[in-house]
Amino acid sequence: MKRAHIISIGFIAVLIGTFIATFYSTSRSTTFAEADLRPEQECKISGTLNADFEIIYDPEVDPTKTVFHMTDRAGQTKRVVLSQPKPTGLENSESIDLYGSSQGTDFHANKMLMKCPSKYNQNNHIIVEDEGSIDGKAS
Amino acid sequence: MMSAYTGEWIEVAYLGRFLIALGFASAFVGLVAFIRKWDSIKRVAFRIHAASIFASIALVFLLFIQHRYEFQYIWKHLNNEMPMRFIFSAFWGGQEGGFLLWMFWHNVLGLILLRTESKWSDVVMAVLCSIELFLTSMLLGIYFGDFQLGLDPFLLLREAPNNIGLPWTLRGDYLTAFPMFQNGQGLNPLLQNYWMTIHPPTLFLGFAATSIPFAFAISGLTNRDDRSWMKPALRWSIFGIGILGTGILMGGAWAYEALSFGGFWAWDPVENSSLVPWLTLVAGAHLLLINRNRQKPIAYFSTVYFLLLSFLLVLYSTFLTKSGILGDTSVHSFVDSGILPQLLAYLLTFMAMAHLMLLRSSKWKRASFVLFLLIGIILLKGWVIEGLTLFMLALVILAVRSYLRDFIRTKEEDSIWSREFWMFVGSLLFLISAAHITWQTSLPVFNHFLEPLSPLLARWGDHYDIELFRDLSQHNLAPGTNLDQTYHLIQVPLAVLIMGLMALTQWLKYKSTPGRVVIKNLSVSLIISALSTALVIGSFDWEAWEIPRIALLFTSAFAVFSNADYVARAVKSNWKSWGSPIAHVGFGMVIFGAVISTSQKWIISQNQIGDISTLNEELNNREDLLIMEGDTLAMGPYFVSYRDRYQEGIHVKFRMDYFEKESIQYQAGDVVYFDGMVFEAHEGHQASDQFADDLEAHWMFIPFPNERQAKATKNWKAGTPGDKLFTLEPRIQLNEQMGNAPEPDTKHWLNKDLYTHIKWGRITPPETDEEGWMGGRTHTMQVGDSMLIGHTLMTIDSLRAVSDAEKPSRGLLAKDLAVAACVQLKNKALTAVHEPLYIVRDSTIIPDLYEAEAFGVKMRIESFDPNSEQLEMTVWEHESVRRDFVVMQAAIFPLINILWLGCILMAIGSFLAVWTRWKTDQKSKSNG
Repeated sequence: MKRAHIISIGFIAVLIGTFIATFYSTSRSTTFAEADLRPEQECKISGTLNADFEIIYDPEVDPTKTVFHMTDRAGQTKRVVLSQPKPTGLENSESIDLYGSSQGTDFHANKMLMKCPSKYNQNNHIIVEDEGSIDGKAS
Repeated sequence: MMSAYTGEWIEVAYLGRFLIALGFASAFVGLVAFIRKWDSIKRVAFRIHAASIFASIALVFLLFIQHRYEFQYIWKHLNNEMPMRFIFSAFWGGQEGGFLLWMFWHNVLGLILLRTESKWSDVVMAVLCSIELFLTSMLLGIYFGDFQLGLDPFLLLREAPNNIGLPWTLRGDYLTAFPMFQNGQGLNPLLQNYWMTIHPPTLFLGFAATSIPFAFAISGLTNRDDRSWMKPALRWSIFGIGILGTGILMGGAWAYEALSFGGFWAWDPVENSSLVPWLTLVAGAHLLLINRNRQKPIAYFSTVYFLLLSFLLVLYSTFLTKSGILGDTSVHSFVDSGILPQLLAYLLTFMAMAHLMLLRSSKWKRASFVLFLLIGIILLKGWVIEGLTLFMLALVILAVRSYLRDFIRTKEEDSIWSREFWMFVGSLLFLISAAHITWQTSLPVFNHFLEPLSPLLARWGDHYDIELFRDLSQHNLAPGTNLDQTYHLIQVPLAVLIMGLMALTQWLKYKSTPGRVVIKNLSVSLIISALSTALVIGSFDWEAWEIPRIALLFTSAFAVFSNADYVARAVKSNWKSWGSPIAHVGFGMVIFGAVISTSQKWIISQNQIGDISTLNEELNNREDLLIMEGDTLAMGPYFVSYRDRYQEGIHVKFRMDYFEKESIQYQAGDVVYFDGMVFEAHEGHQASDQFADDLEAHWMFIPFPNERQAKATKNWKAGTPGDKLFTLEPRIQLNEQMGNAPEPDTKHWLNKDLYTHIKWGRITPPETDEEGWMGGRTHTMQVGDSMLIGHTLMTIDSLRAVSDAEKPSRGLLAKDLAVAACVQLKNKALTAVHEPLYIVRDSTIIPDLYEAEAFGVKMRIESFDPNSEQLEMTVWEHESVRRDFVVMQAAIFPLINILWLGCILMAIGSFLAVWTRWKTDQKSKSNG
């Protein structure tokens, strides 16, 4: 057995160990229903902004609290409390990824990613309504 | 019947498509010609290819300069308002431009390679042609039914698939008839930044540079007894390390200067996927260094494999970021533009090709080729996951088989005091680091592979009661948000070892060095780095769990000083050998600066008053602060005042004045309020930054203040604002189409940066009713409570019943019951008491809207509870007295310049190393 071999085997062991270790630090992308089953555990939930509810951001009361409603991929809507100032473009967002945990009836998010329709959008197209009137619309 | 279109540059579209097609065809001819060694045409074919790519790039630029909005690519990435200095950013703002940029560098490098003839040239150029062939296909824009081959940069807007058939496309005069074709969508405001002008070309040159060592490694596999390919491969590898490293850090600089996430590195999938090829390239280059002069190679397989891997990882990174498979896990990623299958085919072809070339036996080669074809058919049939699993399995088998059978192996052992041995260990460490990052980044891809296994995993999980299997069967892994656990847990210890090796290995010689000499040589830098680490530990606060970080600070300092010492003592005046140690000093500084500026980032805009957090039961990040126009707040070592905002072009700028903090001296007997409690000083002292630091030593809690104490009490302050130091102007870029984008402003010093960012700011006046009143807010208050309404301090002094005598003058009936709240209003100019009423008539509440005109405040008591003496009051504010405010974040990044200086040194060192190797290789060639 060469020393290089022993080291290589040691490194492969470390490598496998690292992979297994990361299973415990990754979060899970789930739905609100599943997050409710595991309260206070971090997870990631994707969905869209529910425009039927108002976005509440009152910086004079609390500059780092934004409350809105999101509908997850399974169709469930839940009140979301985001501990951040209201992100620019939230109203127009196309999809939202929340990182946080379920706390009672709310979902508390500490991090949020948004896809806005215009950011890097490759699917802009133009629709024409009737004769002459023309409008740029992002799909 | 199609009418003729007027005003279109249709000829340019035809010319552009012709050039792309010519580029595609000539790349193919070049590929065949270089393989078949058709000497008469191979070079010509490549030159034609390069010329056609350069010409199409020039054409796209022409379209940008002329604002030809009939072209989809121009319409999407340009508008009339965009300053022309961002034309480069706009050019590579989309995928088509990104591919063109990448190809541009391949062609520049290819033309350089054409000038130097060697026995490896043909294979190298053939590989380059094949890479270019695939890249050009990404721009063909041909449709086979629904299948799209490439994105055509010269596509006209009216020809775009989602516009075809719409009525306006049939009008010949559409360009003049509709105003929307006079202007485009414009560039994403985040990309309108000078870093976006230089970061992408540098990064893509780095990507292109990984193709050359890849090509040389392939050429080396065609003739395994000759290892002279290693010299040019080494030069190009070091070149790639320098450029790619600089490009990655420029991306970090862009994120730091222009993006709002408050740092230069966020372990974002896109950042990661450019870092990983760099890591493997570094590993590969160091193995080349070991092997280039040896009679008998060691780790020959790894040397070749790492070089192959770097380019394959560049392709993988392209696939991840451009195919849309990352979905929402990255802020940078592109949406699926329909070229996913093509990108996947590109990646798989080169993976298969590289692994085929590893084999020596032609029988195995042929068999594997057939196997790959079969897998290709399986994939085309739609069994994607099954096909890919088979593919990965085949790759592993080929790699293992060739490792065991097809490479020269050496039996001799290297000394433990040799440079080779530790370089080899270091390379493996780099590989682990790369594998871990790739793994984390690839979780969205991995989920797709777990999906078909899901029932099996669930069954196993239940049968053997293993939670991990049950968990995996959900196939919903996502990268964690806690970076310390997700990345630093693994990467920091690896970096500790790598930095340690960098310090040690420079002083080792090839073959062997006496141990005592090495230790003696290292002792000086060891002492200096221990001292400097001690200094850093002393100057900042650390917690126990940060020990790995401190270890990393130590070993990276060790790497810096050891390599600097090596320059000073070992190579001294021989400046041609400075390249490598200087690059290593730079890399050590990058890591040192990154660790210290990130872990000791001091967010000074934190809420320091305790009771703010108790107001909100819901969690609070407490890193952002609301500041009213004209107010001055203490923040860390400064006082910050929000002066005003103004608009300049497309930017709304917020002027934030920073003032010096003058310390405050408290005398014995001074009485202060803090956090709703009263304290008395029992000795004179100078206030610290935090009240908590002074509390125990200097202050006494007074539960029941006497009259003197109650009268003398003032709010506790850490200091008072002194001279104005500077003004920062964070801004919000207005962009109707893309959404407004906030941009931070940063003040730079030698030893720190101060970053100031507007998290939320109003750019339009708030909504009001016709009379100018802004939406009211209801508060629960009791006697003694005060509240700030704009400029006015409102205090409820007392409550009293309205006497019968004054009822008529107040417009009340005798039977009414009324309570008056004595509300004191106070602003800078005047103080007055107002008395809104709470009226009950025949057990019905009569609302009484009370307006204090002079203050611009309107109030109404909604309810009153006589038992608790609490009342609910709605207060409106008039826009004339409204004060503007912003929610801001400010942070100090200590010693971040070490990082940037390290980056510059790393680049300089790399180029020096490339240059000296070029010179010495030239000399040895002419001599031998």
